[in-house]
Amino acid sequence: MAFAQALGKGWVVTALTVRYLLTTRRVIAMALFAAVPLLLAGSLALARVPTFDILLFQVLMVPLFLQVVLIFVTLVNAAPLIREEIEDNTLPYLLTRPIGKPAIVAWKYAGYLVAVLVLLVPPFVLAYGVTEAYGGLALGTDSDVLAGFLVATVLGSAAYGALFLFISVVLRKPLAVGLLIGFVWESVVGSIPGNVPKFSVIYYLRSILKGMIDVGPLSGFPTDVSAGVAAGVLVGLSVAFLVAAMAVFQRNEFRQKA
Amino acid sequence: MTGVVEAHELSKWYGEVLGLNGFTASFGSGITGLVGPNGAGKSTLFKLLIGQLRSDKGEVRLLGEDPWNNVPLKRRLGYCPEHNQVWGWMTATRFVETLLRLDGLPAADARTKAAEALELVGLTKAKDRPLKTYSRGMRQRAKLAQALAHGPEVLILDEPLSGADPVGRVHILRTISRFAREGGHVLMSTHVLYEIERITENIVLIHNGKGIASGNLHAIRALIDQHPHAVRIATPQPREVAQALAGMDHVVAIEMPTADALIVRTRQPDAFYRELPEIVVEHRLDVRGLESPDDSLEAVFRYLVG
Repeated sequence: MAFAQALGKGWVVTALTVRYLLTTRRVIAMALFAAVPLLLAGSLALARVPTFDILLFQVLMVPLFLQVVLIFVTLVNAAPLIREEIEDNTLPYLLTRPIGKPAIVAWKYAGYLVAVLVLLVPPFVLAYGVTEAYGGLALGTDSDVLAGFLVATVLGSAAYGALFLFISVVLRKPLAVGLLIGFVWESVVGSIPGNVPKFSVIYYLRSILKGMIDVGPLSGFPTDVSAGVAAGVLVGLSVAFLVAAMAVFQRNEFRQKA
Repeated sequence: MTGVVEAHELSKWYGEVLGLNGFTASFGSGITGLVGPNGAGKSTLFKLLIGQLRSDKGEVRLLGEDPWNNVPLKRRLGYCPEHNQVWGWMTATRFVETLLRLDGLPAADARTKAAEALELVGLTKAKDRPLKTYSRGMRQRAKLAQALAHGPEVLILDEPLSGADPVGRVHILRTISRFAREGGHVLMSTHVLYEIERITENIVLIHNGKGIASGNLHAIRALIDQHPHAVRIATPQPREVAQALAGMDHVVAIEMPTADALIVRTRQPDAFYRELPEIVVEHRLDVRGLESPDDSLEAVFRYLVG
């Protein structure tokens, strides 16, 4: 009974978050941004580019989708989860209800994951479909590519989301730090020799793609981490950052704008 | 510690800024008004009571319990914040329903109770409109509805009349009084003493983060009344006005600082404001404006704290 009640309360927070992320004005910009892979694939098909095939699709999607779209969409959706409730003075409505602060963070994170995957997955799958259709291939022909990118999208959304959520409960201005981590650190870390690249999310996302896709631009990616281990690391990172965010939020007091 | 609220030497600092400074008070049952000027520490005290802030020093208890991170205690309280922000995209019904679901109510019960609470505050007709279309006064009522819908033992209302229109005020005061009559406790802050007089005699005065007086309103008013309240009257006939007002037994001094004004000091401002129109009409006086240098509560507090 208590479990069902806790689940019911959690669902309310999750639904509130999904509704907020998917129906407020920002969703238009987010949906357009998330649709960039589809727009690109559609443009290549319409322009009848002769070299447009599943290999070129991957060559474009690794930097564009994984390193720009995924990071930006996760940052813009995860950072305000708690921070905007504080800035908008709506947090007291949640904090004066019989639900623990860590539970609020966890269920908001669940809502974030749903919203981000709703934004990211359909356009990507459609972009893949356009690519296969352009080559006159059946949709399942390169299912390893689709599966690899979908796993990377889910785990990348989870890891980046937890990281940015953690930053947002620790810092008052999380966007600036999130942009630095997402677009500077994650971009340059691959060029640093040794084991340093392992201190980034993108390293494990690339390892997953290398392990899951038979032929692609990441076939030569220098990694000693298998797809399974990389997935495990990303799940572990997500859990660690989420638990850290819950712990900080539990300990924090909240001073709103006057 | 046995009151609804017990605070002992409670202090809260915001960096260099003092929120509460050794605040000590006990709030009993029924309705208690927390009265103080803006910045006195009223909202800080309430945020400590709902567990949004943690005290730097001293002790606070709500219904005998420490409010900080106390999840079960939240079932027993209803809170109406001072600010007017709500999730504007929600209708009032969805707003109250959502928060009731967080209290653990099943969807059907939440719907029923939300409708009841919105009816109580007079928002039934507007209940399906998005909150962003609400006036400030209507939002106050929606906030009050969410605070009392789950049947709390204590309501903590931070400036609930602020911005409310006359109809809204009536609804809010009536709702608060009814809640208290049915056995609930209410802590209500205001910076306007006369507002709270209509629903309670129990008040706590707070100034610069300290509790400076508490108890029966009449006793505190008597304390205030020992300090004459000044009223500046703009008139081209200061001498005639002064002669007419000199007969009022609560007027303790009359000064004529300029040729077109006089300052009257009275121990009973309520009686003065009540009787003045009659005197003006009776003596056919030309009174062009009234202004009270003591009008703000800040001035009264300056009297009290010396």
